[in-house]
Amino acid sequence: MSHHLPIFEGHHLPVAGSSSEPLYAIGGRFESPDALVNATQALSKAGFSCYESYTPYPLHGLPQVMGLPKSILSLLVFGGGVSAVLIALSMELIPTGIIYPLIVDGKPTDLSALPQFIPIVVALTLMISAITAVAGMILLGGMPRLNNPIFAWDLFQSGASRSFFIAVESHDPKFTTASVTELLHDLGAVDVTAIHQEPKDPE
Amino acid sequence: MSTLTTNAEAVTNAPDLEVLARPPQVLNNRNPHWVTGAVCSIVEGRTPLWWWIGFAISATFAGIGGACILYMIVTGVGVWGSNSPCFWAWDITNFIFWVSMAHAGSMISALLFLTRQKWSISIARVSEAMTVFAIMCAGVYPAIHIGRVWFVWFLFPVPNSYGMWPNFSSPLLWDVFAVTSYLTVSSLFWFAGMIPDLSVLRDRATTKIRKFCYGLFSLGWLGTARQWRHYEMMYVLLAGITSVLVVTVTTIVSSDCATSVVPGWHATIFPFYFMVGAVYSGSAAILTLLIPLRLAYPQLKDLITPSQLDKVCKLLLLMGSCVAYVYVIEIFNAWYSGNAFEKGAFWERFHGIAAWYPITCLSINLIVPQLFWFKKVRHCLPLVFVLAILCNVGMWFERFMIVTTSLIHDFLPSSWHDFHASIVDILTATGTVGIFFTLFLLFIRFVPVINMSELKAVLPGSQPDHPTGGEGH
Repeated sequence: MSHHLPIFEGHHLPVAGSSSEPLYAIGGRFESPDALVNATQALSKAGFSCYESYTPYPLHGLPQVMGLPKSILSLLVFGGGVSAVLIALSMELIPTGIIYPLIVDGKPTDLSALPQFIPIVVALTLMISAITAVAGMILLGGMPRLNNPIFAWDLFQSGASRSFFIAVESHDPKFTTASVTELLHDLGAVDVTAIHQEPKDPE
Repeated sequence: MSTLTTNAEAVTNAPDLEVLARPPQVLNNRNPHWVTGAVCSIVEGRTPLWWWIGFAISATFAGIGGACILYMIVTGVGVWGSNSPCFWAWDITNFIFWVSMAHAGSMISALLFLTRQKWSISIARVSEAMTVFAIMCAGVYPAIHIGRVWFVWFLFPVPNSYGMWPNFSSPLLWDVFAVTSYLTVSSLFWFAGMIPDLSVLRDRATTKIRKFCYGLFSLGWLGTARQWRHYEMMYVLLAGITSVLVVTVTTIVSSDCATSVVPGWHATIFPFYFMVGAVYSGSAAILTLLIPLRLAYPQLKDLITPSQLDKVCKLLLLMGSCVAYVYVIEIFNAWYSGNAFEKGAFWERFHGIAAWYPITCLSINLIVPQLFWFKKVRHCLPLVFVLAILCNVGMWFERFMIVTTSLIHDFLPSSWHDFHASIVDILTATGTVGIFFTLFLLFIRFVPVINMSELKAVLPGSQPDHPTGGEGH
C-alpha cells in the first residue's frame, strides 16, 4: 500500500493511503514509552496542538505532558447519580403516595417511611451512574467511530498493540510537511510516514 | 567492637529482600509483545477438539434445561417439587446460588482494583466473565418462578390494568432492581474493560469478518492519550460503583428471607451471612474455572501464576471462616433467643426428616476451606480444583438448607411437610450449569481472557520515568 517518495529533506518519506487524496497527518513510531513522552513534550513546547499520541496501554503522566486537564467524566457521573436519586425517589413516592396509595400492613407511604424506599434508590443510582460513566467515556473519547484516517497507515494497524505512535495532523496551524518530518526525525521517530486519506469507494 | 556488633546485628536483622519482594506479575520476564501474542493466540488459533466436546455437552444440558422451562411454562409450576408449605425450593435456591457466586468476580475485579492489588489483574477478566454469566443464570429463575410468566411485567414500575403500581416497599421488588442493576453494571464493567483489547484483535485480524466484528465492538478505539484519560477515569468510577454492589446486592437478596417472620430466616445476620457466603462460593468458582483454563492453554501459566491462585485460596479461606462463624453464631442465637419456634427450627434442621442436607452443607463448609491453611494444599492445583468444586457443592447445599429447611418446619406442626425435587427441578438446575459453561466456552473462544492493556501497563519498564515528577499517582 505504501510506496516511497524520492528523498525529502534528507530522509525518505514513505506515503500511506492514496497520495492523490489530501494529506491527513505525518506519523512517526517510537520504540519506547520514554521516547514517546519526550517527543510529546517537545511537540507541546513547540506549540503544536493538533497531534495525537497513540499507546497500547495508558502511560502515566502523558496527559499532563500534553497539557490535558482532568477528565470531566467524574462530574458527569456525579450528575448522573444525583438525577438517578431524584428519578428513583419520584418513581417510588409519586405512585405509592399520590396516584394509588398502596397501604400494606398499615405502613405509611410518604417520606416518613423513607427507609423502605432506599434499596431501589441505591440500585438505580448505581445503575444509572455506571451507564453514564461508560456512555461518557465513549462519547468523550470520540467514539463510536468505525473508520479513521489513521487506519490508512498499515504500520499503525500492525503495530498498535506494541508500538508507540505520534501523528501530527495537517490542520495544525504550525504544520508544514518539511518541519514536522524534520522534527519527528530529530525526536527519534522511526518509520516517519505521510498519511493520506484512503481513496473513497467507487460507488 | 560495639560498632562491629551493631553492624553484625543489622545484617542479621536485615529483612530478606527475596521474601519481601512482591511475586512477579508475569513469570519468566515476558515482555508486552509476548503477552499480546499469548493471549491473542487463544482467540486466533484453531478451535481445539476439547472445546467442541465441552461445548456440545454444555449446550445439550442448556437445551434440556430450556425444554424443561418451556414445559413448566405451558404446564404450570406443579411440575416442580415445590408444594405447601415449601413454595420456594430449587428455584430460589438456584437463584441465590448463582447470584451469590457472581460476587467474588466483582470483588476481585473491582474492590481489588481500587485497593491497587495488582496481582488480581490477570484473573480479573475471567472473574468478571464468571460474574456476568452467573447473573444471567440467576436471572433465569425470577422470571419463571412466578408461574404465569406472561405476567412478568407486574414486576416493572408501570401500573397494571387496575391502575395499581408494584409495591416498592417489598424486598421482592428490591430484588428485581438489585439484580437488574447488578447485571447491567457488571456487563458494562466487563465490556468497557475489554474495548482496548478488542481493538488489538481488530488490528491483528486477518479475515474481513473478524475485522468487521472486532471493529464494531471496539467502537473505533485508537489508544490516544485523550481516550486513555477518560478511560482511566471511567475505570476507577466503575470499580467504585461495582464495589458498592458487592455489598448491596446480596444484602437485598438476603432481605427476601430476613424481612419475613419465618423461623430460621428472620435474622439480622443474614446480609453478612449471604455476602461472605457469596464471596466464598465465588472464589471457589473462579478456581474451578482458572485451573482447567491454565491446563488447556499452557501459555497462560506465565500469566495466571500459582502465586495468584494462592491468594484466591486465601480469600476462600477467609470467607469460608466467616461462613463457619455465621453457622456457629446462628445456632447460638437460636438457643440464646429463647424463642421456641427459632429453637425448634434449628433443632428440626439437624434432627428432622431433612437433616442430611444441613449436615452435608456443614461438614463441607466447616472442614474443606480450613484445609487451605496449609501451603502444600494451596500449591497442589489438582487438589485445589477438587476442593473448590466441593466448596461449590457445599454452598449449593447451604442455599438449599436456608430456603427449604426453614419453610418445611414453620409454626404449625400439622403443616410440616418434606420437600422432594422433581426431575424437572433437577434438569432445569443442570440446564443453568449448561448455560453457564456454554457462555464461558464462547467467552474463551472469542474474547481475550486476560486484560492485556492493564497487564502491560504494570509490567517492569512499561512506564516512562515520571516526566511530571510522579504527579497524579
